[in-house]
Amino acid sequence: MPRKLSIRIDGQYLYASEGQTILEAAYANGKPIPALCYMKGLAAVGACRLCLVEVSGVNRLLPACTTAVQEGVSVITESEKLTRYRRIALELLLSERNHYCAVCVSNGHCELQALATRLGVVSVRYPYAYPKLSVDATHPRFVLDHNRCILCTRCVRVCSDVEGAHVWDIMSRGVNARLVCELEQAWGQAASCTSCGKCVQACPTGALAEKGLAVEEMAKRNENISQLALHRGANR
Amino acid sequence: MRIVDLSTFNAAREAGLAKLLPRKPRIAIGMGTCGSGNGAEGVYHAFSDAIDNLGLGFQLSRTGCFGFCAEEPLVNLWLPGKPLLIMRRVRQSMVPGILDDMAAGRVPSDRVLCKIEEWDHITAGMKYGAGFPEIPHWHEVPFFKGQKKIVLRNCGLISPDDIEEYIAVGGYQALYKVLIDGNPGAVIEQIKASKLRGRGGAGYQTGIKWEFLRKARADRKYVICNADEGDPGAYMNRNEIESDPHSLLEGMIIAGYVMEATQGIIYVRAEYPLAVHRLTLAIEQAKEYGLLGDNILGRGFHFDIQLVEGAGAFVCGEETALIRSLEGKAGRPTPRPPYPAEKGLWGYPTNINNVETWYNVAPIVIKGPAWFTETGSPKSPGTKVFSLVGKIRSTGLVEMPLGTPLKTFVYDIGEGGTEDRAIKAVQTGGPSGGCIPQEMFDTPVDYETLAQIGSIMGSGGMVVMDEDNCMVDVARYFVEFTHSESCGKCVPCRIGLDKALHILNRFTRGEATEGDLATLDELSRMIRDTSLCGLGQSAPNPVLTTIRHFRHEFEDHIRAGRCRAGVCEELALSPCENSCPLHMNIPRFLQLLKEDRLEEAFESVVIDNPLPASTGRVCQHPCDDRCRRKAIDESVNMREVHRHIADSIYFSDRFDALAAKVASRCMASTGKKVAIVGGGPTGISCAYYMTLLGHDVMVYDSNPEAGGMLRYALPEYRLPKAVLDRELELIRRVGVKFTFNTKIGDEISLNELDALYDAIFLSIGTWKESWVYLPGTELKGVMPALNFLEAVAKTEPVALGRRVIVIGGGNAAIDSARTALRMGSRVTIVYRRERKDMPAIPEETEAAEAEGAEIVFLATPHRIVGTGDGRVQAIEVVKTRPGEYDASGRRRPIPTDEIQRFDCDTVVLAVGETVDLDFARASGLKIKDDGTVEVDRYTLETSRGKFYAGGDLITGASNVSNAMGYGKKAARTIDQRLMGVRRWEDLFPEFEYSLTPPAHPSESGRHTVTELPAADRARSFREATVGLTEVEALEECSRCLRCDIRNGNH
Ligand code: SF4
Ligand code: SF4
Ligand code: FES
Repeated sequence: MPRKLSIRIDGQYLYASEGQTILEAAYANGKPIPALCYMKGLAAVGACRLCLVEVSGVNRLLPACTTAVQEGVSVITESEKLTRYRRIALELLLSERNHYCAVCVSNGHCELQALATRLGVVSVRYPYAYPKLSVDATHPRFVLDHNRCILCTRCVRVCSDVEGAHVWDIMSRGVNARLVCELEQAWGQAASCTSCGKCVQACPTGALAEKGLAVEEMAKRNENISQLALHRGANR
Repeated sequence: MRIVDLSTFNAAREAGLAKLLPRKPRIAIGMGTCGSGNGAEGVYHAFSDAIDNLGLGFQLSRTGCFGFCAEEPLVNLWLPGKPLLIMRRVRQSMVPGILDDMAAGRVPSDRVLCKIEEWDHITAGMKYGAGFPEIPHWHEVPFFKGQKKIVLRNCGLISPDDIEEYIAVGGYQALYKVLIDGNPGAVIEQIKASKLRGRGGAGYQTGIKWEFLRKARADRKYVICNADEGDPGAYMNRNEIESDPHSLLEGMIIAGYVMEATQGIIYVRAEYPLAVHRLTLAIEQAKEYGLLGDNILGRGFHFDIQLVEGAGAFVCGEETALIRSLEGKAGRPTPRPPYPAEKGLWGYPTNINNVETWYNVAPIVIKGPAWFTETGSPKSPGTKVFSLVGKIRSTGLVEMPLGTPLKTFVYDIGEGGTEDRAIKAVQTGGPSGGCIPQEMFDTPVDYETLAQIGSIMGSGGMVVMDEDNCMVDVARYFVEFTHSESCGKCVPCRIGLDKALHILNRFTRGEATEGDLATLDELSRMIRDTSLCGLGQSAPNPVLTTIRHFRHEFEDHIRAGRCRAGVCEELALSPCENSCPLHMNIPRFLQLLKEDRLEEAFESVVIDNPLPASTGRVCQHPCDDRCRRKAIDESVNMREVHRHIADSIYFSDRFDALAAKVASRCMASTGKKVAIVGGGPTGISCAYYMTLLGHDVMVYDSNPEAGGMLRYALPEYRLPKAVLDRELELIRRVGVKFTFNTKIGDEISLNELDALYDAIFLSIGTWKESWVYLPGTELKGVMPALNFLEAVAKTEPVALGRRVIVIGGGNAAIDSARTALRMGSRVTIVYRRERKDMPAIPEETEAAEAEGAEIVFLATPHRIVGTGDGRVQAIEVVKTRPGEYDASGRRRPIPTDEIQRFDCDTVVLAVGETVDLDFARASGLKIKDDGTVEVDRYTLETSRGKFYAGGDLITGASNVSNAMGYGKKAARTIDQRLMGVRRWEDLFPEFEYSLTPPAHPSESGRHTVTELPAADRARSFREATVGLTEVEALEECSRCLRCDIRNGNH
């Protein structure tokens, strides 16, 4: 049995178990810290920076998804500054590629869209880049639309750490970073893909979807995958 | 040869010493990448061939770099028993001469930089010999003064390819000691006590890091040297490795021993082939000598060092990314914790330190922590190597104690700005650092202080910037770099930097708004506070610091659409246009005249500049400084061309027709009434444009005639009244009205103006001479320059003596001197700084000297001595010496105790002018602390509605064209306020002229005015110069390179 630690989140005294991250402890206590690259059961990577929180005694913001709880810490998950920064992060994501929701299969089921709504992002102050990226529809059952990808790497991790196939990875750097299938294969030609569809379910946006769906039809179910991942220890 | 005990160790040492101090003359060429790039290879071969051919038994070898990169190639010469000489900028052609001198035991007559009699290698001392009293010691050369070489202790003095030379200067002694003592804990305590901080940038305590790794339990542990130097312009690590690779190995082997590591890895940039080559060789030699590999020094310790070449991604400077890269994965950082000391390379405990950190290890082991903490500041002991580059005279690698103030780097080591340009800022820490403005040059350079002011130490880059650098562009440049180096993992850095770059590009194109500035500021803070790794966290530093310290430059780009430095090309027509306070379209009038279209050239000139003949004579011509033709020979003489164009029309029968043509351009009457207070250049310019814009304009002036300073301060020989009158005639014909002999405040108050007019522009000039308070100014014969010049201009009687002293170095001082000469007096000018610091136009100063004025530099008045009846008899001046640099980038004059006395009967004080602001104060206009009227810098609005101000009133004493620039700007903003729309552009007609750049610009040199013979002109008030002839003017036009044409279009 892991040791019980007593912590404070937004002023409230709570118990957490040793080894838990701040995010896990918060979720277990019904505190929904915004997060995008985090998915239960997968190893956290701290990439989207939406889960940043203020931790007592630390003079910089820490990602809740990769920071372990410690006895006696006090964590603030919401403040004017945190909200402002989270909004900017969402604006940046929305302007990086193409997130025109009205024509997206995931409209209404998208985690990016949901967070933007929740945090009140009503306009984007940054110029839209609209890079016109390709769509890979070579797989018989699934499709990848780079224009919707936010590079959270949930698909990468679920595929390599849960399914064990390692079909996906990230290539190039900076704004040119792209999700890549094997060594730049078309997905349909990827020998390592088992067509299990875990990546599709893990993807928070409409970037990975099932084929043949109309707008708003792609709802994702990843609770089972998370359970499986936890079972296999993919979060280590 | 394997070293296994003290005697084998000593044998190696002796062998090395025999090479460093042979029984014959020794020549060593500095052959780092920097030296080789400057021709050291050729010099080496020239020496080698010549020594062979002449059969000289000299020893020739290669060393690394001694740091003074601006003077490469450096060559060391040594004659047995004599000091080591360091020669600078040695060329192949000099080789025979040098060998001759050496063979004869002489010092070469040229290019000897300094000598070294003894050298402290820290781990040992080296005595070369004494002598050559005429040659400065190395630490007497400004570039080296104050430097303390701990890290660079061996660089440039020993061969990097020869382990025995390293051993000869105390190398591997520290390792020997540590292994013999066999007490690793004590070594860690030493490093901890020395408070040595990681030199890679973050400044973490090295000893504490070592202790972590030592305590970690694992069957494998790694020690890594981070030599992935990626900052543009920073090359200290390259230089250290190229010059002294064994110091790095020794530091790592010691660390390996005390931390019980099994393997060392040096991660070095593949772009450093010479460093890789020398390290490979050094590793081989160390193994051969039993200092690396199995059973080191026979003490049973095994440690190996492997060299890994990195692909040179900037982000791999981040330790977690570097580890990923060593594992063969993409170089992307991972969150810490876990720290590498717990879980590093391949999951094993790992220690990573920067190259320079390793170089400090052996000295601390040998000399102890107490010695180390003597240097530097309490929290940041020791030294740091900086690469000092940019707009300074001396550049190179310098090693200074931490805590040294920035100004020492800039002004002492770097010897100040190039071409006497004022230095504006220093950027420290490479692309992730910040810009520190000149006002903050007292800042000590250490980790904490730099962080406090928003910059970082980083790896030690230091880029000096002057007024030619646009700070917006500087920020843009660095963000462009970090943006392209972002690994792309986290959102703020990947996307945020891309958007920040986008916004900065809008600034440099003049498209940015106030909103963009606020967005950029907020976005930068967000990137700083939320990025995953150091790259993103520090990438906004250049933006945040420039916004903080150079906000006005961002505002210039937004509100004035101007880049004062002239860097953002899209904001300027051409460099000359950008620098002209009136923004004259210079290439246009040059081209029109070249096409033999004088009348249109005149129209072009006069629509841009209402007083082209006067400014054509007296402008400070900033355009000359910027002209690109300067890179070929000399700048185009733009001022004299517009003087020529104006004169050709003013004094011809075409004047009436052209004046009528200009007047016909007046817009329909707007019914608005505008008052202009002050009929000097500023007021006249504003009045001219306001009248053209259709307003009803009245100019008030306290004098009986228009022209202000042009008429009452500028002497006849510089600007003949006839020329001025002709120009004013044109102004009058356009429709400007004047009310003379009316002083604002006395005859008419500001409140009355307020009641009568829709807008009032205040533009009185500087009419009050600042007074210096020194004994004797009450004596008869002491007079302010302006009063003197005014009296002469008005042909009033002046009691000028035979022997005149003028105090000051500005235009008023020179004008006074030359006027006094013409009145038959003998004149001496006393100026407190050096010649190059004089604000006067250099041509004027030279003319004054040619006419017989004497100038005493570096002297300031002490007291004026009077006769019994209260008349001036003599002046005593204190000699000064140049001291520290002040905010103007000039050296502050420091009084010495030497006093000089000059007999004289008149003293003219020309030490600066101030504006008489009594009237403004009385009417409640806000006045700033420096005694100028407060205005919005862009609209020139004062604190009182309807009132605008420009010229000397808001800048303090300035010069004619600057003052006119304000008048022009005021017309533009007042019109827009009055009319509610922008009509300014409608005022300027289109001209048709060639827009093809000249295939062959004229090769002729610059033409200047013809001066009357000094002896003749000094006796009369006739104009002292004759303008360009038609042929000369045309040729000047053909010299223009047409910078206004870009990519074939406008
Ligand atoms: S495809 Fe989906 S899951 Fe994969 S990186 Fe892109 S947004 Fe994340
Ligand atoms: S007014 Fe002065 S700066 Fe402008 S072009 Fe003439 S000389 Fe040059
Ligand atoms: S959820 Fe923590 S950084 Fe993305």
